[in-house]
Amino acid sequence: MAEAASALLQVERLGKRFAVAGRRGAMLHAVDDVSFEIRRGESFGLVGESGCGKSTLVRLLARLLDPSEGRIVFDGRDLATLPAASFARRPERALIQMVFQDPTDSLNPRFTARDTIREPCLLLAGMDRAAADARVDEVAAQVGLPPELLARFPHQLSGGQKARVGIARALAPRPRLLILDEPTAALDVSVQAVVLQLLDRLRRELGLTTLFVSHDLNVVRLLTDRVAVMYLGKLVEVGDSAEVFEQPAHPYTQALLSAIPGHGPRIRLTGEVSSPIDPPPQVCRFASRCPAAHERCSREAPALHGPGPGAGTAHQAACHVARWPAPVLAD
Amino acid sequence: MSSSTTIGHVRHVLSDNPVTLLAATMFAVFVLLALVGPFVVPYDPLASNAARALQPPSAEHWFGTDALGRDIFSRVIVATRLDLSIAFAAVLMSFLIGMPLGLAAGFFGGWWERIVTRAADTVMAFPLFVLAMGIVAALGNTVGNIVLATAIINLPFYIRVARAEANVRRGAGWVEAARLAGNGDARILAVHLFPNALPPAMVQVSLNMGWAILNAAGLSFIGLGVRPPEPEWGILVAEGAQFIVSGEWWVSFFPGAMLMLAVFTFNLLGDALRDIFDPRRRT
Amino acid sequence: MTGAAAAAAPVPLLDVSDFGLEFRTRSGTVHALEHVNLRIHKGEVVGLVGESGSGKSVLSYAMLGISDAAARVTGGRALFGGLDLLQADARTLADLRGREISMIFQSPRTALNPIRTVGLQIEDVLRRHAARTRLGSGTGVEQAKGLRERAVQALREVAIADPERRYHAYPFELSGGMCQRVMIAIALACRPGLLIADEPTTGLDVTTQAAVMDLITGLARERQMATLFITHDLGLAAEYCDRIVVMHAGHAVEAAPARALFATPRHPYTARLMSSTPDRQGTLAALVPVPGNLPDLRRTDLPPCRFVERCTRAGERCRTAPLPRLDAQAAHAVACWHPLATPAPAEAAHHG
Repeated sequence: MAEAASALLQVERLGKRFAVAGRRGAMLHAVDDVSFEIRRGESFGLVGESGCGKSTLVRLLARLLDPSEGRIVFDGRDLATLPAASFARRPERALIQMVFQDPTDSLNPRFTARDTIREPCLLLAGMDRAAADARVDEVAAQVGLPPELLARFPHQLSGGQKARVGIARALAPRPRLLILDEPTAALDVSVQAVVLQLLDRLRRELGLTTLFVSHDLNVVRLLTDRVAVMYLGKLVEVGDSAEVFEQPAHPYTQALLSAIPGHGPRIRLTGEVSSPIDPPPQVCRFASRCPAAHERCSREAPALHGPGPGAGTAHQAACHVARWPAPVLAD
Repeated sequence: MSSSTTIGHVRHVLSDNPVTLLAATMFAVFVLLALVGPFVVPYDPLASNAARALQPPSAEHWFGTDALGRDIFSRVIVATRLDLSIAFAAVLMSFLIGMPLGLAAGFFGGWWERIVTRAADTVMAFPLFVLAMGIVAALGNTVGNIVLATAIINLPFYIRVARAEANVRRGAGWVEAARLAGNGDARILAVHLFPNALPPAMVQVSLNMGWAILNAAGLSFIGLGVRPPEPEWGILVAEGAQFIVSGEWWVSFFPGAMLMLAVFTFNLLGDALRDIFDPRRRT
Repeated sequence: MTGAAAAAAPVPLLDVSDFGLEFRTRSGTVHALEHVNLRIHKGEVVGLVGESGSGKSVLSYAMLGISDAAARVTGGRALFGGLDLLQADARTLADLRGREISMIFQSPRTALNPIRTVGLQIEDVLRRHAARTRLGSGTGVEQAKGLRERAVQALREVAIADPERRYHAYPFELSGGMCQRVMIAIALACRPGLLIADEPTTGLDVTTQAAVMDLITGLARERQMATLFITHDLGLAAEYCDRIVVMHAGHAVEAAPARALFATPRHPYTARLMSSTPDRQGTLAALVPVPGNLPDLRRTDLPPCRFVERCTRAGERCRTAPLPRLDAQAAHAVACWHPLATPAPAEAAHHG
């Protein structure tokens, strides 16, 4: 299958290490040698549990953090070379926007909804106040935020309404890539459904490319075309969402999916989680807990690869003992 | 209910709590006295009349007269302007210098934060009044230097409040979101963090006003700063100190009571100011 | 249930009947709970499911006597082993808490004392109830050693590896999942008969969530402990609970065994909740959100059924007649005039 759409974002060997407080020279590998691409117009999911590095990865992509190494090629331009500290004032800032996890935390308590949504219009899109106000009205209508709520402060809005303000703010400067960092995690179930449908609708109507980060696998399955699974800073599996969720190749993905209530017998993971601080490079990070671990897994860290020659590179897993779905024979 | 407007909100805060209303009223009275005091007092505060020296409070002299026969009531009222001006100028200077320093220190961290907090700690290590005395003595015995000294000794309070707020909030989601919206660091400090640091700072402002008045009065009491015959509460108390033992209590009492009332008003006002500035109290 | 079957039913450990609660606030009286019936039997895991604002946490706090100061009980009884919790005095309740009825909370790290080691926190509970739990005898040193051993044992029982070392750990040194296990250890240290778990896994990873839920339900079955499991996650409740009670805006609207509830929900709200939750089979388009919003519980004109304004099956009777009480004896009970699987009223519902 040929590449359907060209890549909007190409991440190449991205890494981020943090110095560990109190221990000289020790480095925490939050993101380690991550490479993937997001195609134009697609919805790309990123899943993983706490400590897997997806928050750090997201902040690297949103250029709030500088990587230790690697490239972030956006529409042909390597954004990793632009330092995060000054990125806010650059014109490229409008290209990538983000919707945050906790709507309450992500809104300035002293700004009205209108102030919040208007700010990127004034700063990034170079509009004057009148044009910015018009844009606020336009984008508020798009996200289903009634105009009378625009004059309110965050503490006067409900969770769902605050979420919409956050989405409107991200859409206002017309970004090319929208990163959604657990956008419904803090919301009630019934509100969640509404917001998810809104996000999907906006994506299709506005032709957005989205990166959807979540730990809720059911939600990711519904909203994404392709998905990547992270564990302790590394990508362990990448592929079409339907295939990864129905037939996960990597043991971690299998365990993760089995832990969802109602997904059948649980694969219990035993053993200690390996430390992200100075991890030995030749050992697979998941080996210490993996039910299918092999002696090769402690000798040679697996790289992302597909099932084999002739099967294409759509579905990849970083595992020596990955269980690949049987290929479907085309008639 | 127009609570969402500023005036409506102010009115709501004032009516919410009767103590707040009381404080606001007293504050208004003081400001009024400061503004029009000199024009409405019955006697010239500087006019001496040896014949009527040290007379107790009466119908003609509500607060009595002092050793030079001057009407104490007039002097006390007129002194309001000077005391309030000194306090206000000092607090304003403290606020305008201390807040940005503290915000920057809390936001950027690192060596910048260390330098600023150490400097603030050094100032706070001194008994503040003694430090103020030292500054005035070193720089010269003028009213301007009283303002400066008071401003300096109050700086650490603003630095600390601003630093604490910035430190807590620099990790908040909306700070990151502000970066995404195109805010550079300076703008984040000024437009985003500063308004959020205002509510606790306003309590400081009000308390500081009280202390600044006390400070100015105290310095004048010991002879630094304002010189007689300029009416100022501290000087008035000083002038009457020697007469307490001999029974002419009114010479010190009334200026002292006025001083006490002023400080009390500003302390009460602190909470009201914070409520006015905090949008979370708007419903 | 017929008379014969009802007569043979075991006595419930906790029997809440017709419970009502309100909050007096500056902006009006919040009618938080009304006519709530709930029963939990020994060894049973009952799920209390509802959105935020449904009153589920408020209910459990009231049972333990730790409600907000503005709370007022408006009626009903909560019988626990013969004692009415709502009438009991503060001292009796304090004795019960931690020993007979325990609670675990949502954010484990914030529920633990950050400046005290976890071992000591477990011992605090043991010491508090020492008089009643056979630890009151012996010298001071013996007691201390006994307490320590019990605490280490408690840590071991919640599957914390290396419990002797972890005894000295502070909460910030432990992961979220481990903190939750510590909280469970504290709650179960005195072997209570009833455990109330208030959203214990919200915010935890899905694998940790599964492990913690396995632990709670495993211990519950082992010790025949009754568990009230409060959550907004229907899927989780379905997986782990024997029986589920659905709450909406302060009313208990449906109660049934978990499997029956999911196979045939009878209250319209339950059905809507299920259809708005993403699951394995569904598509995005199939997600149907619950229409409308929760009613403002401060209103003085609340209709007898608080779901009526969001319900597509509402009829005249729903607006005027007092809601049928949830029959706590019935296997599958519903508080609704037109439950699903019966015809909806002929007149369609029109809402303003």
